[in-house]
Amino acid sequence: MADKDFSVPTLSSPEITRLRLAYMAVAMRDPNLVHMEDEYAKKSGLPQVIAHGTFAVAYVGFALSQAVGIDRVRRVKVELTAPVFPQDIISVDYTDLQINGDLTTARISAKNQSGVLVARGESTWVTNPSH
Amino acid sequence: MGVEVGHTFPRKTFTVEPHRVEEFVIALGVEPHPGWKPTKGNAVPLGFLMYVTTYGADEVHGMLDFDLLRTVYGGTDSEYFAPVYVGDVLSVSPVISSLVVKETKNGKLTFAELTCEYINADGIIAVREKSTTVERGN
Repeated sequence: MADKDFSVPTLSSPEITRLRLAYMAVAMRDPNLVHMEDEYAKKSGLPQVIAHGTFAVAYVGFALSQAVGIDRVRRVKVELTAPVFPQDIISVDYTDLQINGDLTTARISAKNQSGVLVARGESTWVTNPSH
Repeated sequence: MGVEVGHTFPRKTFTVEPHRVEEFVIALGVEPHPGWKPTKGNAVPLGFLMYVTTYGADEVHGMLDFDLLRTVYGGTDSEYFAPVYVGDVLSVSPVISSLVVKETKNGKLTFAELTCEYINADGIIAVREKSTTVERGN
């Protein structure tokens, strides 16, 4: 019997430093200087460099995979709604969990330390009968 | 724009190299799950499989002819059908699955959706990932 009280704990990221942006640029082989050079970012109308969208996307996914494991995740849909900047800290919450037999769904929100919504979406995973 | 919906890029193979996945996790500073290691046989972290990482951005962005100064990543919709592990070899042939232009109060926005279906060694679709890239203005 699935446990209706199961929840996905809030994930709080570490501070997203410029060093993390550099690692991400290398990991992704991402050539976009908007993540690396302030002057380039300012030409885009941004106040400074922005973090790769994969930070918010991955934190959303990791919040779930920490709770249920990677192999049980079936879908993660994320819409990015605001830029993430260096020194930001992202918090991810899963709400409105709905258990539909073998699958569980939830809404996702990711906010920065000022409460600005940076990503939202929904996710589906295989319900654990032991939960 | 010189590209149409349905445009399919040449198929390429991609090995999920341990060091690439390790760099990704170091960047994030968070473990995908407790005890996870970037070694062969461990599940690939969510969010790693997208066209920039696996296929390369240059060819896709060149075809879209988007100005990188005005381009942002809009989001993803990833479906997982079979496990993917560090060390796996996948093939992928990205498709431009949607192009939508919206006029907003802040100007024109062009949304390009790229669909990547990652085929595993058994010949089945392991992951379907749709990335949305957005260009402002012009």
